Amino acid sequence: MTQELRLPWDDDPDDLYEHAPCGYLTTLPDGTIVKVNQTFLVWTGYTRAELVGHRRFRDLLGSGGQIYHETHYAPLLRMQDEVHEMAFEVVCADNTTLPTLVNSVLARGPAKEPRAIRTTIFNATERRSYENELLHARRRAEDSERRVQVLQEIVANLAAAPTEAEVAEAVVRAPEPAFGAASSSIYLVDPERDLIIAVSSTDPTTGNWDDMPRSSPRAVARVAERGDLHVVGSVAEARKHFPDLVDNMLKSGRNTVVLLPLTTGGSDDRAGPETLGVLAFSFTGERKLGDNELRVVRLLGQQAGQALDRARLYDDARRREERTAFLGETTRTLDELHRLLPRARRLVDRVVPEIADWALLQLSIGNGIREESGGPVPDAALLESAEQRATMASVPIFPEPGDPLGCVVLPLTARGRVLGTLSMRMAPDRRGAAAERSFLIDLADRAGMALENARLYEQERETARTLQRSLLAADLPRGDARFAVETHYQAAGQDLEVGGDWFDAFMINKDRLAIAVGDVVGRGIDAATTMGQLRSAIRALAGDEVGPARLLEGLDRFVDRVETARMATVAYAEVDLVTGELVYSCAGHLPPLLQSPVGLPEFLLQARSAPLGSRAGDIRRTEQRLPLPAGSRLLLYTDGLIERRTRPIDKGFELLAREFGRRRDAPLPGLTTALADLLVGRDHADDVCLLCLSLGNEERIERSLGADRMQIAQLRSELRAWLVAHGVEAECRDAVLLACSEAVANAIEHGYRDDPFGMIDVVATVTAEAVEVRVTDRGTWRGAVTDVARGRGLQLIRESMDQVLFDRTDGTTVIMRRSRED
Amino acid sequence: MTDQWVSFSRFGDAELVSLTGEIDLANAGEIGKAIVGRITEAGKVLIDLTTVSFLDSAGVRLLDALVGDLLVHGTRTRLVVGERGAARMTLQLCAFREDVLTTDLERAAAELK
Repeated sequence: MTQELRLPWDDDPDDLYEHAPCGYLTTLPDGTIVKVNQTFLVWTGYTRAELVGHRRFRDLLGSGGQIYHETHYAPLLRMQDEVHEMAFEVVCADNTTLPTLVNSVLARGPAKEPRAIRTTIFNATERRSYENELLHARRRAEDSERRVQVLQEIVANLAAAPTEAEVAEAVVRAPEPAFGAASSSIYLVDPERDLIIAVSSTDPTTGNWDDMPRSSPRAVARVAERGDLHVVGSVAEARKHFPDLVDNMLKSGRNTVVLLPLTTGGSDDRAGPETLGVLAFSFTGERKLGDNELRVVRLLGQQAGQALDRARLYDDARRREERTAFLGETTRTLDELHRLLPRARRLVDRVVPEIADWALLQLSIGNGIREESGGPVPDAALLESAEQRATMASVPIFPEPGDPLGCVVLPLTARGRVLGTLSMRMAPDRRGAAAERSFLIDLADRAGMALENARLYEQERETARTLQRSLLAADLPRGDARFAVETHYQAAGQDLEVGGDWFDAFMINKDRLAIAVGDVVGRGIDAATTMGQLRSAIRALAGDEVGPARLLEGLDRFVDRVETARMATVAYAEVDLVTGELVYSCAGHLPPLLQSPVGLPEFLLQARSAPLGSRAGDIRRTEQRLPLPAGSRLLLYTDGLIERRTRPIDKGFELLAREFGRRRDAPLPGLTTALADLLVGRDHADDVCLLCLSLGNEERIERSLGADRMQIAQLRSELRAWLVAHGVEAECRDAVLLACSEAVANAIEHGYRDDPFGMIDVVATVTAEAVEVRVTDRGTWRGAVTDVARGRGLQLIRESMDQVLFDRTDGTTVIMRRSRED
Repeated sequence: MTDQWVSFSRFGDAELVSLTGEIDLANAGEIGKAIVGRITEAGKVLIDLTTVSFLDSAGVRLLDALVGDLLVHGTRTRLVVGERGAARMTLQLCAFREDVLTTDLERAAAELK
């Protein structure tokens, strides 16, 4: 241990205590000051009497210090018995504060109980100002870091912004967080129109929003031209260099304006940096920008310039892509509609609103076509004059800036002829006007072609329809009591071309009837012509001794010379009206459907072979004979009746047979139309052609009556009159009346026992040989009749008629037939 | 209500029921009631069907019931039906009892003497 050096003067320990270079305080454990030195009193301005025994140490602290004392100082002292360099601001007698650093030691008694706290207090005024310096530097560093962060964020946003507009939006938001600017605006250069256009601002009340030529003396244009950052440090500076800024600076209270060109290239020695836009931001108060800040500002200009450049390329590419897609889609959707009017309408609907807010299509075809969409409608006189110019010169008219019409007028041409004009008002496009023009010319070309095709289609369609109508309207044999023919032709859905379906019926000789239904491959005028030729060929080939098989062989030879008829299908049949014999043959055609007077309809599946002139199929033509009883109905039809996309073909056959059978008692007129309506409806993709032959002098009476016994007499009286009128012999007549009455009574008492509103259909037919009556109810059948009375009724029916059948597939139909020769 | 189809008179000492027009399911029931009300006390009944233009199984049922009742009560009865015609046909087809059928009124009255 070293001996303490003896000082050259005697140091009085009391004096040392009182005037030490630090303050001393001794307090009780509760903080009550019991001893204080002179140094502390001098620093704080208190008297010893004010402190000792009256104040606690913490009473000398500000409120923040008191809390800190409570939460840190006191607990630490108790735990560790000492604390070091705790910073407190001591409130002096004059209420100023003294920054201090405090060390304290807790002295304990023999039982470790706290006895006193000894505290030294250092004046930290100097030390705190150094710390402030540190703090300030740290703030600056933080500012700089924040700026860098803001810029990084902006650069990231710029990279993600795909369009020029989005880039502009990202850039204009940068100066406020990055530099503390009050507001900022962005201007973009439109090289094609040689303009600088203000596009966005964080405070649109500032600044001049007019577009300016690139040569304008305005500050923005000058800076854009120079391509370098310019800081207008004060209104005075502005007045000197850019007087156009002064008014706005004064008006919006800005003292510093930064004009930053957004540039790209630069490294390219060919042209130097290209200015794509200008970012202007301003500060309230004169703001000096440090070198670091200016560097960052320039960096922002370059980043934004590059992003703009990229976005412009991207915009252009995307616009080109969109336009190409639009043209492709337009052509495709126009092709979907064949007819002129729908196609014209669709063109206008394509254009508005996708590329224009108003469009008018005027065509000088036929009576003229005018389709308009969108609005507002431009001045009529101006438009008409522009349309005339476009039509006369056959050149598109594009509006110049400030054009009062403000519309594009495109002449639509095809095969060297101007069909009309398409006028559109389009959203003003800042750039790419040249590309836009070539797009519009392309659109006009396509529209012209599509409309011309539709016009030709209309023309051909009309010709084909006329031809087809004239062919199908040719006189069918009528007025022969031995048979009747009913036909129906239904063209395919409205926008499809005519098909090659046809029917025909003619007399080979006075007792021999020929019927045919066929289908030529293809559509349109060719199909219609071919159909006519085939039809004529059949008429020419048919003869007394020919028959269906040889006739089809003849058609095969015919098809070798008329190629368009190859693979046509034909169902052909001849009926001997004396014997009732049917002979038929089918060349690739759907089988005829026969409904005999009694029983279910059946498809005639014999005598089938390949379509006409088929090279791969079996074209050995055969024919099938079968007797047709009077009252038979034979249906020939084309595949349009059966084939539907939504229905398997066998279901189609099933449905046809069922519906044909159900209607066997329906009158012949309207039957084919009803079948077509039921099986295909109105919206169908194919032609439908039906021919129904009804054989035997089918004179008939049809009545419907309610399930009411009072109505039977009325029915009987009509039936009696009808039988009389047909010269039916009295005995037969009475028998028929009795049987019919009994059948109706049976329907009322049994079928409709529980249904007083049921309806009963009665159909009677008379031929030279017999009378047939069908009585149909849709009530319930209750199995064998146990009612004796009704049993007698049934017995009467059986006794009075020659043939009685019960059909219970749908309700009950009693089919009764009585021969007239008795 | 049934006057258009049925009328009553005397023919000699017999009650004469004359039916006319069409007799079917619609009117047979009412005609039956009208007849029953008039003939319960009669000793002899003649039912004239010669002017019946139509007769169905309901009519047959009515006649069958009438004739059955009369015979049960010992009332002598005859149906007068023309040799041909609708009523004859129906009755024949039903194999109605030939023994109560006669072709004219005089003969029928004579048969009941």
